[in-house]
Amino acid sequence: MNEAAGWMLPDAGHLAFHAWSMATAAAFSAACALVGSFLVVRRMSLLGDAIAHAVLPGIAIGALAGGQLGGPLVIGGAVAAALLTAWSTRLLRTAAGLAEDAGAGVVFTTMFAAGVVIVTLAAARVDLDPECVLFGSLELVAFDLMSIGRLMMPRATVSAVAMLALVAVAIGATWRWQVFTAFDTPAACVVGVPVAAVTALLLTATAVATVGGFEAVGAVLVVSMLVVPAAAAELLVHRMHRVVAVAIALAVVAACLGWLAAWACNTNAAGMIAVVLGGMYGLAALVAPVDGVLPRAAAGINLAWRVAREDWLAQIWRAQEELGGGRAVPRPMPRSLLERAAVWWLWLVGQVEDRGGLVRLSVAGRREAETVVRSHRLWEAWLGRHADLPLDHLHPPAEWVEHHLGAAVRQRIEAEMAGGPDPHGREIPPESG
Amino acid sequence: MMPQPSPPIVEFHDVTVAYGGRPVLWNVDLAIEQACLFGVIGPNGAGKSTLLKAALGLVPVVGGYVRFFGTSLSRVRGRVGYVPQRETVDWDFPVNVMDVVLMGTYGRLGWLARPGRRERALALECLDRVGLADVATRQIGRLSGGQQQRVFLARALAQQADVYLFDEPLAGVDARSQERIFGVLAALRDAGRLVIVVHHDLRMAVAWFDRVALLDMRLVAAGPTQEVLTPEHLRRAYAGRVELLDELGRAVAERGRTA
Repeated sequence: MNEAAGWMLPDAGHLAFHAWSMATAAAFSAACALVGSFLVVRRMSLLGDAIAHAVLPGIAIGALAGGQLGGPLVIGGAVAAALLTAWSTRLLRTAAGLAEDAGAGVVFTTMFAAGVVIVTLAAARVDLDPECVLFGSLELVAFDLMSIGRLMMPRATVSAVAMLALVAVAIGATWRWQVFTAFDTPAACVVGVPVAAVTALLLTATAVATVGGFEAVGAVLVVSMLVVPAAAAELLVHRMHRVVAVAIALAVVAACLGWLAAWACNTNAAGMIAVVLGGMYGLAALVAPVDGVLPRAAAGINLAWRVAREDWLAQIWRAQEELGGGRAVPRPMPRSLLERAAVWWLWLVGQVEDRGGLVRLSVAGRREAETVVRSHRLWEAWLGRHADLPLDHLHPPAEWVEHHLGAAVRQRIEAEMAGGPDPHGREIPPESG
Repeated sequence: MMPQPSPPIVEFHDVTVAYGGRPVLWNVDLAIEQACLFGVIGPNGAGKSTLLKAALGLVPVVGGYVRFFGTSLSRVRGRVGYVPQRETVDWDFPVNVMDVVLMGTYGRLGWLARPGRRERALALECLDRVGLADVATRQIGRLSGGQQQRVFLARALAQQADVYLFDEPLAGVDARSQERIFGVLAALRDAGRLVIVVHHDLRMAVAWFDRVALLDMRLVAAGPTQEVLTPEHLRRAYAGRVELLDELGRAVAERGRTA
C-alpha cells in the first residue's frame, strides 16, 4: 500500500489519507497527554501503563457483546477493566502486602494476557486483530469510513475525537479538584473534595483516552503517550495548566512528525511516533532551563572558568604584595589546562602584563584581584571570630567562598570587623569602585 | 444526661485507632471547650499525628467517635482547617505559591466556580500575614523549608476556618519562620479560633501552649499546660511507656493476619 501511494502525487485523496491518519493520531495523543499529565504528577504513571494494557479484555468483551468495535459497550468494558485494575492493585497491597509496583505488574500482565486470549478466540466473530492490538494499524484508518451527516469521516478519527472531547470535559470540569487532590490528598479531603471520586474519574478518563485509539495506534503507543509527553513537559514548565498545554503540544507534534517519518521510512507508524516522542523527551532533558543537562553543564563550566581566572589574578596579586611596590613578579606555573587557558585569556584582555617571564597586574586586573583577596580575607576574619577554629583551618574554606561572596555580604562583614587585618595579620584591601 | 448549653468545639469520645489491624491509639477521651492554643505532645510513635487524622476522618476509627461543634465533621467542613506535615506532599509539584494558597478557598467555591478577584485578594492578604507576599508567583520547590511551611499556613488562613489542626508545623523550620508561624497561630487564638498543634519539643510547649494533651498511645493527661507537664506525667509518657499496649497492638495485628 505504501509503495503504491509514494510521495509523487499530492492529489486530493492522497492528502486526505495523510490528514485523516495524522488527525486520528493527534486527537488520540492529545487525550492521552492530558490524562497522562495528571498521572505523572501524581506519581501514578505505572498505574497508567497498567490501565493502558488492562483495558484490552474489557474492549474485547465489549466488542463481542456489541458485535462491533466501538460504541458504548466497548467504552464501558474498558472503563470497568481500568477500575478493576486500580482496585485489584490496591487490594493486592492491602490484603496480600504486595508492593504497589509488583501488584500493578501482576494485575496488568494477567489482564492483558487474558485480553489477548479472548481476542484470539473471538477473532473469527469480531474484526479485532491481535497484531493491531500491539502495533496498531494507523495506515488503514483512512479506508474505514463512516458518514456523519453529509461528511464522510474515518471511523477511527471520529472515535478518537469523541474520546478526546469526553476526556477534556471530564478533566476540565473537575480541574481544580484534580489539581488539589494530586498535590495534597489529605488536605483536599478535609475541605470536602471527594478525593476518591476525583481519582476514580481520572482513572476512568485514562481508560476512555486509551480506548479512543486502541485499534488505530496499539498498546505500545498508548503507554508512551500517557507518560512521555507529560514527563517532558514537567521538565520544561512548572505550573499545572502549562504542563498540560506543553504535553499536549509535544504529543500532537510527535504524532504528526512520527507519521510522516514512518511514511518516509515505510515502517510502522505507531512505533515511529513513540520513537519520535522518546527523542523529544531526550531533547527536553538536554535543554530544559536550569535543570537540563546542558544548562547545568554550562553553569558548571562557567564557574570553573571564573574560578581559574580569579585564582590566577589573586595569586599574582599576593606575590606582588609580598614583593611590595607594585613590582613585576616571576610568572607562576599554571597547573592545569584550564589555568593555562585562563593565563592566556587574562594576558589577551590586558589584565595581566607579561614581559619576558615577569608578570604584573594592570589596573583592571588589580581591581578584580583585590575583590577576590578582599573576599578571602574577610571570610577568614569572620570565620576566625565566629567559628573558633585553629588558624590553619581558615584558608581552605575561604579559598572557595572568595568566589561567591557578594558585595553586600562583604560590606556586612567589614562593618562587623571594623577594619583591622585578617587573622594572619595581613591587610584587607578596601572595596574597589 | 443534662443537655449542654453549647457543645465542645472538638470532642473525642473513647477513640481507638488502628493501622492495618494494629491499634496505635487507645480509648482517647478528650474535649476541648474553648478557643486556645492547644498542644498535642508526646514521644515518637505516641499517636500524635494519628489523633489529628482520626479527627479528620483520614484514618478509620475502630472505636468511639469524634465530633466538631457537637456534630459530625461532614456537616461543618468549612469550619475546620488542616495542615498536614510538610513532607507528605511533593514540593516539585507544578504549582506556584499563589496556586497553593488559593486551594484554601476551593472548599467554599465548589467544583465549578473559579477563584475570583475576592479570593485572590484574600490569598494575597494571607500570604502577607505569613510574610510571603513577595514570592507569590514562585514555584513552591524553590522555597526554603520554613517558607514552604508558611505557604501551608497561608492556605489554612485562606480557608477562614474556626478550628485549625496543624501537624508538626514547626519541624525542620528555621528560627525566623518558627517565630513568624507561632505569631500567626497566636493571632488566630486571639481572634477566637481553636488552634490544635502537634508538636514534639517539650521545652517550647511550656512557653507556647495554653493547654496540652500528653499522649503515649493513650491519653496520659490533658488540661492547662502547667498542670499537665508535671514530672510525674512526663515520666509516665516518656520513661514509663506502657509496653503492654505496644505488645498487645502487635498481638492483635498478628491474630488478624492468621485468623
